[in-house]
This record gives sequence, structure tokens and C-alpha cells, in this order.
Amino acid sequence: MPTDPTAITARAEALHSDARQLAACADRLRHVETTLAAGGVAPPWLREAVNAYLTACTTAAADLDKAAARLWHYAEGAR
Amino acid sequence: MSAHATATAGPLRDAARELVDIGLTIQQAAAHATAALTDDTLLRALPHAPSAGQAAYSALLRAVTNGQGLGYAFTGGRLGTLAGKLGAMAGAESLAVRVVATSLRLRIAAVAADHPELTDDPMIDRLIRAAAADRDLEAVRALRTLFRDRGAVRALSQLAPVFGEVLALRALLDENPLNDAAAWLIATGKGYATADPITGMSNRAVAALDKGEGAARRTTLTAAESAQLCKQGSLLGFLRDISAIGTTGRAILQSVEGPDGVVRHVLQAPGMRAGRPDSDSPQDLLGAFSSAVLASSPYSRALARAVDDYGLPQGAELALIGHSAGGAAIMNLAQDAGFCSRYTVTHAVAVGSPVDFKRPADPRTWVACVTNQHDIIPTLDGQGAGVCFDLHPDWYVVDYYDSTHLFPLCHSIDHYVANLADDLVEAREHIDERLGPYRGRVVRSQAYLLSDRPPRPEGFPFLTVATHPVDSPAGAVDLPIRCHDGSALTACFAADPAAADRLLEGTGFGPAVRLAGRALVTVHTCCNRRTSMGGYREMHLGIVVPDPWRRRSLGVWPDLLRGADRRRAGSFLIGSVVDSEAVASMAPRLWGGEPHQATLEFGLSARSARVAVGAPGERLLTLRGLLGPGLPVRDRDLVGYSRADAADPALRSSVRVRGRARAHPLPLLRLAVDPRSAHPLAHRLRELGLNGARPLLCLSATGRQTLRDAAVAVPVPSWRSHAH
Repeated sequence: MPTDPTAITARAEALHSDARQLAACADRLRHVETTLAAGGVAPPWLREAVNAYLTACTTAAADLDKAAARLWHYAEGAR
Repeated sequence: MSAHATATAGPLRDAARELVDIGLTIQQAAAHATAALTDDTLLRALPHAPSAGQAAYSALLRAVTNGQGLGYAFTGGRLGTLAGKLGAMAGAESLAVRVVATSLRLRIAAVAADHPELTDDPMIDRLIRAAAADRDLEAVRALRTLFRDRGAVRALSQLAPVFGEVLALRALLDENPLNDAAAWLIATGKGYATADPITGMSNRAVAALDKGEGAARRTTLTAAESAQLCKQGSLLGFLRDISAIGTTGRAILQSVEGPDGVVRHVLQAPGMRAGRPDSDSPQDLLGAFSSAVLASSPYSRALARAVDDYGLPQGAELALIGHSAGGAAIMNLAQDAGFCSRYTVTHAVAVGSPVDFKRPADPRTWVACVTNQHDIIPTLDGQGAGVCFDLHPDWYVVDYYDSTHLFPLCHSIDHYVANLADDLVEAREHIDERLGPYRGRVVRSQAYLLSDRPPRPEGFPFLTVATHPVDSPAGAVDLPIRCHDGSALTACFAADPAAADRLLEGTGFGPAVRLAGRALVTVHTCCNRRTSMGGYREMHLGIVVPDPWRRRSLGVWPDLLRGADRRRAGSFLIGSVVDSEAVASMAPRLWGGEPHQATLEFGLSARSARVAVGAPGERLLTLRGLLGPGLPVRDRDLVGYSRADAADPALRSSVRVRGRARAHPLPLLRLAVDPRSAHPLAHRLRELGLNGARPLLCLSATGRQTLRDAAVAVPVPSWRSHAH
């Protein structure tokens, strides 16, 4: 059965792009929390939640980056 | 609303919107990872690089299941969706869902800033906190306590400003995978709630139960209703018109001569009609639901037919005003490209309606939307006071807060009218200004009765027959006479056979059908309450006779049970009474002979019957008493014969009957002929020995339809009776 390494590469590129966006999400989450806190309107539970999410975003970005790297390697091997 | 509240709620809504955007980004990343994991191409390449492939699969699987990262994040595609639902059932959550849930919490916090009474109320605060913290049992307990303390309606009304958010939050975090999609749509503002956020039952599936192409019939308003209609066009005037016609399954169209002298038109559509959830009216509960969640509904299609019937020229300018379900229905019309190609929909004003995801087909249509935040109905599409998206920046949105009356009072058209008249002056003036071309003298008003589908012709199919006009002394009459609603009593008596044969002598009919040596005689009385000739009563005395050409056949009994089209036996009519002059004048054509015209009283119930012929001072006969036990049977056709004189032709008349009847084998009625009556009919009854007689059998029908056409001449030869 023929293989199509370009399709695997495309998946890898999408995941790599997502990883970058998730890393940016961590920054956006931090900005949301600091803006509300500075305005004195942040609900008391928000900081803990946002901290958990931005850590998760960072971890998810690393996971996706790793998956993207392995997909590129896989595409190379499948040529 | 205070400046402090606005300063607090605004940033919270902005933050909620940002979190939704972040959640969508995370969800997209999860979808890409799921798609890669389930991609056939990757699988096909595995034999070429098994080691690298396994490592890639391992990393992808880790990415979509890492509780410290994306969480349990399978999404998209058949396999991904299935895996996601299984995970939801097991209580697994994704990072995207958690972030969007936090967005909902911020929306609730924003509403609470606008409505401090929500969090000041310990019961509501407890519920909101439990729902937000994903503490199911506590949320259920809090909701139960709230309902018990306040009653369901009051509790829902108090919760209304955050109703959608609380439901969506619970749905996102619970273990029911069926309601997740609806909750996601509510939370992200990407569309109307496709399912009930509690059970996950598909809204489309429920709305699809509301079927019909829609129909509209012109109807006349009562004088009191007409007097309440506005004489000058204005927002309050149009809304008061909606109040005047009420939720009665009707809508109204008006033409207004604008300040520029141009006549424009206004469609006014009320809300849901009380009563059965799915009646023939498109304004029923199902209709309200389908109007809210579907792009086209029987209600909007019925309104389109009303507008088409009203007779507007192509491109005529039209303003649409609707309340509640009517608002959703008029917005469906506004987003109907076909409708908008026929007419120019200039304005659409929806009051107390769930219309957030409606989009006018014509971008020039000016839309205004008025909602009270305590009104639950506008939140049925999932978006309420907590919405953090500007779903329609080009609309004029009046989302106000009046807690003086809770749901359902706050949803009433009268309450909205009062709010707009007294509390929302600026908003009302702005809408009136935009409705300027419609602010003139009302020159025409027409109400329509709406239905899911064109009404079936009354009496269809039995009474749907060709008719033909005949002249009568009372003018032209269409035959057959169609009776839409009648009742009848047929009483069968055993009469003196010799007397019966004497009455039949020279007629060509007879001998009378015998039962145990006695002649069978019928007294048939019916009340035709609603016919094509008006209402009337009639009574016929007849001697049962066999087939005129096979007089001695034993087949007379089964023949009497046949329909009129195949029956040869019948009742030879020896006397008739009617209480209608018009019918009496037609009698020679209908069944032959001259009937006696007199007062005829007829009362029939399941237990008893009462027939009285003649006014009290001129009573001819009475037949009354208990009917006794009855067996359900099909009502029978009637066949009558008559012959005025041996030289005249014999006539055969028939009455086709449709309906249920009851046969009474042991009737306790008694026929009494007034001893003072010298009427020929009274004389015949005495001659037959029926004065004081009880019938052998009765057939009663309390509801039936009949068709009576003109009698037909039959070439029955004259016959002289012989001793029988």
C-alpha cells in the first residue's frame, strides 16, 4: 500500500502551529487574570484556575511539539 | 444599573469572551491531534517505519490524554467523538471544557455584578456556587431547596438572568455526553442550543414534531377587539394590537398611510397560544419551540400565507412585529430569502423572543430586540443576560431588567407594553423614530386565523359531493342537502297488518314486511342541527315494504341492512312532519307528498328520547321514554318510497348516513297519539294500532352526517292488495 509522507508532514506542521498557539494561550490567560485583578474585579477563585490552565497550556504545548517532532521523524522514515 | 456594576461586569464579560477564544484554540489543537491519531495515512505508513510510527502514536496519545496538559481531549471525527463521549461518561474532562466552563463562571459573575440580588439570595448563591464547582449532588439539592421554597415558576424566573449559563455549566461538567454539544454552543455563542442542556434531548428532534405547511384564513374580529386596534401606527399601538387579539391563534395585518403618503404594511404576530402542546394552531407550544430553533416553522409559513393573501404588490414595504413565539416567527420570515424577494421587509421588532441566532436575509432590514432579563423565554436559544458576545452588532438591542414582576407575568405582552411606555422611554422613542414611515393613519386591518395546515373541508370526504341547484318556492336550493351535524331516532313498531296493507293498497308497494305476523312500521325522527338548508327537524311514518319487484323474497331482512345504494326494500311513507317552511316546500321533490308543517320537539340522550309533534295546544303525538340498553352499531341509510296517487309515478328517496348509532333491543318508549287530534297522521297511527304502543326496537344516533338528494321516479306498477 503506498504511503504519503507529505500527509504526515502536514499533520506535524499543524500540531507544531497549535503548540505555538497554546504557548501564546498561556500568556493570554495570565493577561486575563492580571487585568481583572488590577481592576479589582477578579473573582477570588480565578487566580487558582488560571494558574492551573496556563500550566496545562504549557504542558500541552510541549506534548504537541513532541508529537509534531515524532511525526516529522515518522514521515522521514516512511519515505 | 449602577456605574460600579457596569465597571465590574464589563471587564468580566471581556475576560469571559477571551477565555472562550482560548478554549476554542485549545479545542482546535485537540481536534488536530485526534485527527492525526485516527488518520489512515499514518496507519498505512506504519510497516515502513514501525519504530518511528509507534513513537509518534505514543506521543499523540499522550497529547490527547495527558491530565496535566490537554486533558482527555478526543474530539472530532467519528472515532474521536465516540471516544470523547465515552470519556465524558467516565467523568474525564478536557482542558478546553475547563477553560470554557470558567468563561461561563465569569459570565455568571458579570450577571451577579449587574444583579446583586442573585448572590445576595443565599439559595440562589448556593446553587450557582455548587454548579460552578461541579458539585452535582449539592447543585441538585440546592435547586430542589430553591424550588420547594419559591415554587418552580418563581425560582426559574429568579434564576432567569443566569439560567442559560447555569444549565450550560452543569451540562459541560456532568457525565451526560448527550448535552455537551448544546452546552458548548451556549458557552461559545456559536449557535442556538441544539439540545436540552439538562437531558441532551435534541431540540431539532422535538421541533420536527411540529409539522405543516402553514395556512391562514381571514377572520373577523369582534366589535370589542376591533375597537381596541390602533388608529395610528406606533410601536405601542402595534404591540397593543397584539394584546387585543391575544394568544388566540390569530395574527393581524394592517396598512398604514405614512407621513409621506405611501401606504405600507405591518404584520403583528402574538405569542404562544395556551392549551394543548400540539394543536392545529401553529402558535401552540411545539410551534413556539420550532419557531425558536428552526429557520422555518409552521407559524412563519402560516404568516407568509397571510401576507400573500392580504394582497400586497411585489416589493411592498412591510414591518414585522412579534411577541414571544411571534417574534421568533417574524424573524424566520425576515430570514426567508423567498419572502424577502416578494416583499421589502424594512423592520423586524421582536419583543420577549428567542431570536439571537436569526439573521435577516435582507441586510437592509432594521432589527430591534426587546427583552426583560427575568423573562425565561428569550433565553430558550441559550443566550441570556450573561451573553458576552456581540452576536448582532447591527441590531438595536434593549435588554433591560425589571424585577417587579417575575415570569410568567414579566413575559406578557401587557407587561412589555407597560415597560416600554413608562420605563424604557428612550428605547421606545428610538424604535418609534426608526418606524417613522409606519407612523401614520391605519387605513386597513385584517385578522387571520392561522393553522399548521390548510383546514380539511368540513365533512370531508362524506359531505364533499357535487351539488346542483334546483328551484324551490323559497328560492334556489343546492341539492343534496348536506347535514354536518344531526341526531336521529328510528323506532320500529309492530302494527296491524291488515291496516298496513290497506294503506298500501293501490300504491304498487307491499305487502308490508311481517314480523311474527305483524306489520313492521317505523317512526323516524331526526334533528338536522346544521345543514346546507339551515337547521330543521323532521319526522316520517313509514310501513316497511320489500323490493317492489320481488315482494315475497325472503331476502328482505338482509336487504334492509344494506346501504341505500343497494337496498331495494324501504319504508313506504304514509305521513311526514317538518318544522321548516323551506324544507316543507321542497318535500315533493325530496321524498314526495305534502308534509305537515308543525312544531317538532326532539330530545335525545344516551338514556332517553323525547319526540313531540305539534305545539302544546295542538299536540299530535308524543314518543318518549327510556331507550334501555344499547349496542354500538353503524348508523343506517334510509330508503323511502312514496306515491301520492295511483296515477302518479312512484318515488324513491334516500338519505345517506355516516356516523355511529346504538341499537336498543328493549326500549321502554311509548307512542301516544293525542285523542283530540284529527290530523290524518294521528288517524293513521290509530288505524295501525300504534296509539299507546311500545317500539320493538330503536336505533339512536346522537351525532351523524347525512346527504339527502331529490327523490327519483321508479316505474313501480300499480298493485292491489290481496288477502295475506
